[in-house]
Amino acid sequence: MTIMPTKVFESDTVQTMTLDGVPVTFAQGETILEVAERHGKEIPTLCHDSRLDPMGACRTCLVEISGWRRLSPSCATKAEAGMEVETESDRIDRHRKGLLALYAADHPAEVAVTNGRPNELVAMIARYAAPTDWGHLESQRDDRPGDVNPYVGFDAEACIACARCVRYCDEVEAVSAISLANRGSYTTIATVDSLGLLDTTCEMCGGCIDVCPTGAMHEKMPLAALAKPEPDLEKVRTTCNYCGVGCQMDLNVDRDLNDGRGKVVKVTSPPPGTTTNDGNLCVKGRFAYEFLDSHERIMTPLVRSADGQLVDASWEEALRRAADGLRGVAERHGPDALGFISSSRCTVEENYLVQKMARAVFRTNNVHQCAAT
Amino acid sequence: MTNSIGEIRHADCLFVIGSNTSEAHPIIAMEMKRAVKRGATLIVADPRSVWMTTIADRHLKLNPGTDVWLLNAMANVIVTEELYDATFVAEHTEGFEAVAAAVQSYTPEEAEEVCGVPAEDIRWAARTYATTRYAGIYYTLGITEHSHGTDNVYGLANLVLMTGHLGRRSSGMNPLRGQNNVQGANDAGASPVFYPGYQRVADPEARAKYEKAWGCELSPDEGMNLNVMMKQAGKSLKGMFIMGEDIVLSEPNVTMLEEGLNAMEFLVIQEIFLNETARFADVIFPAAAFAEKDGTFTNSERRVQLVRKAVEPPGQARADWEILVDLANACGADWRFDSAAEVYDEFVRDAPKFSGISHQRLDRDGGLQWPCPTEDHPGTMFLHEGRVLRGRGRLTPIAYRPSLELADETYPLVLSTGRTLYHYNAATQTRREPGLAVKQPEAWIEIHPRDARRRGISAGDWVAVSTRRGRVEVRAMLSRQVRKGCIWMPFHFAEARANLLTNDAGDPVTQTAEFKVCAAQVEKLRAHDGAELFPGSFYREDGPSTA
Repeated sequence: MTIMPTKVFESDTVQTMTLDGVPVTFAQGETILEVAERHGKEIPTLCHDSRLDPMGACRTCLVEISGWRRLSPSCATKAEAGMEVETESDRIDRHRKGLLALYAADHPAEVAVTNGRPNELVAMIARYAAPTDWGHLESQRDDRPGDVNPYVGFDAEACIACARCVRYCDEVEAVSAISLANRGSYTTIATVDSLGLLDTTCEMCGGCIDVCPTGAMHEKMPLAALAKPEPDLEKVRTTCNYCGVGCQMDLNVDRDLNDGRGKVVKVTSPPPGTTTNDGNLCVKGRFAYEFLDSHERIMTPLVRSADGQLVDASWEEALRRAADGLRGVAERHGPDALGFISSSRCTVEENYLVQKMARAVFRTNNVHQCAAT
Repeated sequence: MTNSIGEIRHADCLFVIGSNTSEAHPIIAMEMKRAVKRGATLIVADPRSVWMTTIADRHLKLNPGTDVWLLNAMANVIVTEELYDATFVAEHTEGFEAVAAAVQSYTPEEAEEVCGVPAEDIRWAARTYATTRYAGIYYTLGITEHSHGTDNVYGLANLVLMTGHLGRRSSGMNPLRGQNNVQGANDAGASPVFYPGYQRVADPEARAKYEKAWGCELSPDEGMNLNVMMKQAGKSLKGMFIMGEDIVLSEPNVTMLEEGLNAMEFLVIQEIFLNETARFADVIFPAAAFAEKDGTFTNSERRVQLVRKAVEPPGQARADWEILVDLANACGADWRFDSAAEVYDEFVRDAPKFSGISHQRLDRDGGLQWPCPTEDHPGTMFLHEGRVLRGRGRLTPIAYRPSLELADETYPLVLSTGRTLYHYNAATQTRREPGLAVKQPEAWIEIHPRDARRRGISAGDWVAVSTRRGRVEVRAMLSRQVRKGCIWMPFHFAEARANLLTNDAGDPVTQTAEFKVCAAQVEKLRAHDGAELFPGSFYREDGPSTA
């Protein structure tokens, strides 16, 4: 699918640098991380997100640049012509193991599996075989236990203060509802006066949940809380049914629920850069799906009985009543006494069929939908 | 949209008019925020201080219904100061002279009187828009839901054409579509004047093509549009089939519509919930929701994307397309479709703009933007590249006509209605979501503190809002987001139906009703009962905190 790449308009001047001994090209303004990712290099990151300004806080993406005394964060260092960059070396590996061991000391095993989310930090510790026996730091981060908002939970114990969530809230959603507070090992994610999110500028987009690498920000919804861990759910890619932006989203389905009918227990966004919505969703797209399982859904066809009540009917009877009724009107008053209101909420295919029914079956062009308003 | 959503972040000037983007199109708003962060100039024209005004370079807070004055005055500045693109005008447009002459009398100074926007702001906006190369216009129903909605759109098109901001990335004319599939419903021909793919019913060649394709004779007469149907309900219209719309909650002047529905002989509806319209139905079919069926939605940027079935529908509910096939066959047709993909194939067979698109390709490649005429066509990111599609873009002179209902002694306030972030249309889905019901549980009306004080109204008081057509009771929120003399309310709430109040008279061309302007009065009923009014995080007495 053709999604416009971020850098495409910034520069068309192509320059050359060396990456792990191989000459590669890059566009003015690209970071070393972006160049490396384009060339299939694996550089671990925790605080990086392509939608956010580089922060260089987590130090997991350090690379070695020839002639530079210190290791540099690849996410925050712009590629330069003639630069010689190594993404793997003993020095980098030593640094990375030590760094991840420190993270591990502040990230006890029991929080590593919280909230059903895949934990990027734990995976990284395993991937780079970092030591996990450097002791344990008692968490000193403040939680926000009084926050009764319905969607976003915060588990201070699992937080590593990478600030992806607060930067997302500030830079992408631009409501700045949450912020880093305090210093050192007391650093936490806070709101003004420790208010609940409902009382802040928060718009409940859930982006903080989506960007969190460790599940510290997590979904509170009862459906998600009862669900299996995310990796065990089936993801079905579909298009959001609310406004006209057409966000792509993944319905996370637990096939065993609802007597085998399956149940949507969570909605997640496709990765940034892959679809029009660039990894973003709004409050409705991410959270407003509980209506699917409402007991108020219409479960059977209904017909109006002689005494004016709506009563259950079989599909055969309802279809016959509808056909007789519509044809009766057409016979008594002519086809243009019928009107067909299609729906901008339904699919292209269904709209096609409604207009075909109006035109080809009943011979009227009285067919429209709410685009008139 | 002539442009794509992905181009917004690269724009250098965004002119957003009549669009509460951050609430109605939150993800497009994120792209705009990104452009602003990059350094783009954002101009917002809206009678309310909507969220986007908090990051705008300037907010043109015009009086409701005075858009034509504002747009003509901007055109006046562009013509007078010779900021138009003379080459583009000469090569790609027609009618420039007529518009240039027509806007002569719309001076920014006089516009200031009518619109309530400083002349200097109008000049600045016109200059900024005209002189920035990558400048796009973004609008929604604040432009179209007026008795002069068509004129408003012409006014915007005039600006686009005289500045040549067309046929380039990030520069164009971009109506943001309100529903998931408004674009697709029109593409598929759910229109009284178009067959699928925008082929005119009035065109005998198109009719002959579809008579052959469908093997039957077709009516040569254009049909009634939705607004006409609503007015004819129970009169010339005796029977109706309604799929997936709660007309009683979403159409204007409901009292009259309900009388019409009562007088109808037969009504079939196809729905997921029993809504307000269901009270009038003779037969109701239980339908599957979006997560329970296959198909496609087409978004604002003309991108066709798959809807995939994730779970089975509840009870005996079935996908709308399956019900439609059975209903057509019960009415004597012989339709054979085994999947939504087959329906899509039939749709594109005779609609050349879409011929390159199929479910199979969408499944493989992701979404595709039409026009996409052949299977190897990559889709079209922005329209009018190289040349304007109709040959020459037509500029249309427009003259200001006041809104149909103006404030007077009995109804001294101007009411506009709109959407909020936390609910969607008739809210049949969003009010069943407990979290959203907590965030924004009830309807309210925004009234300027001075207008409130004059009526003895304090924050949270119960008030009656009345117009010539109806009356609703809601709680009042004092807010400087609205102009003095203006009130605003959301239309999502069935217990306080804004559309009992709205005016169903509308635009002479489209018949689109004037949802954005009608005369109203507000009176206090009883004092605040102690329950906190909770309209969502952004609504505050002082309006946007940073404005």
